[in-house]
Amino acid sequence: METSLTPQSLGQRGLLSDIRAFLAIIRREWTIFIRYPSWIIAMLIWPLIFPMLYILTARALSGPDGSGLAVFMKTTGATDYIGYIIIGTTVWMWQNIVLWDVGFALRQEQMRGTLESNWLSPTWRFSYLLGHTGPQIVSMAIFVLITAIEFGLIFGVRLNGSGWMLALVMLAAIPAIYGLGFAFASLVITVKEANAFVFLIRGLVMIFCGITFPIAILPEWMQAVAKWMPQSYLIHAMRTAAFSNAGVNELLPDLIPLLSFGTFWLVVGYLAFIWMERRARQTGAIGQY
Amino acid sequence: MQITTLSQPSLKTQLRSLFVIARKDWKVFWRYPLNAVSNVFQPIIWITPVYFMGKAFSTNGQATGFAAYSGSGDYMSYILLGTVLTNFILTVFWGMGLALKEDMDAGVLESNWLTPVSRLLILVGRTLTSLLTTTITSLVMLGIGAALFGFKPTGSTLAAFLTAIPMLLGLYGFGFAFAGIVLLMRDANTLIDVGSFLVQGFSGTNFPVKSLPYWLIPVSLMLPLTYGLDAIRGFLLKTNTLMPINIEIIILIVFMFVMLWGGAQIFYRVERRVRKLGTLGQH
Repeated sequence: METSLTPQSLGQRGLLSDIRAFLAIIRREWTIFIRYPSWIIAMLIWPLIFPMLYILTARALSGPDGSGLAVFMKTTGATDYIGYIIIGTTVWMWQNIVLWDVGFALRQEQMRGTLESNWLSPTWRFSYLLGHTGPQIVSMAIFVLITAIEFGLIFGVRLNGSGWMLALVMLAAIPAIYGLGFAFASLVITVKEANAFVFLIRGLVMIFCGITFPIAILPEWMQAVAKWMPQSYLIHAMRTAAFSNAGVNELLPDLIPLLSFGTFWLVVGYLAFIWMERRARQTGAIGQY
Repeated sequence: MQITTLSQPSLKTQLRSLFVIARKDWKVFWRYPLNAVSNVFQPIIWITPVYFMGKAFSTNGQATGFAAYSGSGDYMSYILLGTVLTNFILTVFWGMGLALKEDMDAGVLESNWLTPVSRLLILVGRTLTSLLTTTITSLVMLGIGAALFGFKPTGSTLAAFLTAIPMLLGLYGFGFAFAGIVLLMRDANTLIDVGSFLVQGFSGTNFPVKSLPYWLIPVSLMLPLTYGLDAIRGFLLKTNTLMPINIEIIILIVFMFVMLWGGAQIFYRVERRVRKLGTLGQH
């Protein structure tokens, strides 16, 4: 008599189990985040000292009589040069932190030796990346809040615009910023050591997106490149929302491209993940580092 | 029974070990050529926003506000020179501590410590290759920076070079002390990141310190690096200096002796403590 065995997985995947896994990953990431309290120091100091270098340079360029500052105000249309620079540098730091945190999330698992075993669990694998994103967004919100408080107290920077509009712009930027992080995470897991790519991407943001100057001042070819980068629209929209009484209608010219780039990068990020997952299974390289 | 050591340390063996350390670091550095490319382009990327920001502050290409502080409207030459000097400062200032941390992580620190080589010499050896590679990458960076933004030195290169020597030697003293702190704390990344940013900011790598808010100027004047950067710029770019250049050079020479002696004392004390605690091999 012949018997045949059909292998059956004990894992019963469903929407509920996926949500549970997603929440478990968020909880794990949060536990790790608060386990190393040195982030408190970093979170208090970095928002202050990174923009400071540019602010102090701007101060030197202004001259003792402020003549340079008058030219800057006229060129940029800004009413507060410190606020103008802070917004640019904060967006740069946001993208930079996401590239390191979300971009290297899977790589860290690989280095710890837990990626392969997690991969075997009957869960939606993309939730590993999504789970990293939740605590990251919370910590970034705290980071932005600390920036606003520190510069408000020390340099007297005040928002003339609406905090709600500012929040709306930042919300609209989440898909683009994190979509890029997802695509990057898949690249990192494939090429392993990818620090140079972080330097490249954050360098592009620094050069083309006008973190300390208006994009209109760039040569034409550089302005054309800037139009293909969501961070350019984000910086412009945040400055408009923070220092004018602009409403949703005035922000739409920035919000529409921002959301379009967001959709694009989320799709690219997801497809890159699927491609990386299939490639990793075929080559067996998921556990290697 | 009298214990005798088989090792016969002499000037020749010390110099040989210095050469071996430098050769090892040279091999490691060129094993990752992308790092060299990154060292060239990173500083250019960081100063590009300053270049365009300066344009937004200028009228007909003249940064008159900046000229009122520094005596020169050529802010990009000012910043490019500051960036090159920062590369060297970082190499000596933090390089030795970072090298110790790398050895800790790689698990070779304890065995290196057992060799009959002066420990300060091990630290100095770790900076030799870095100084050479920093010179190469800084020259390439300066060439690219000059092509993109313009670099017009109008003064004496030799005088500027001679002024840099006591500044860098003094920094070795600080590097020894910092290496001691790394031995004790075992993780000093945050300290390095934050410290280097603050030192860069307050010593005036990107701007004349006279432009700082009045309550920050005393902090800047307490850093010997401020006088080094100021004097070198004074010689090479003919900018206005904080004090007469001769006085700035005397400050740098005094700083050099004090820091070399003080830094070595701190390092030896901490190192003795770490050996007593038995934590040298831990990380």
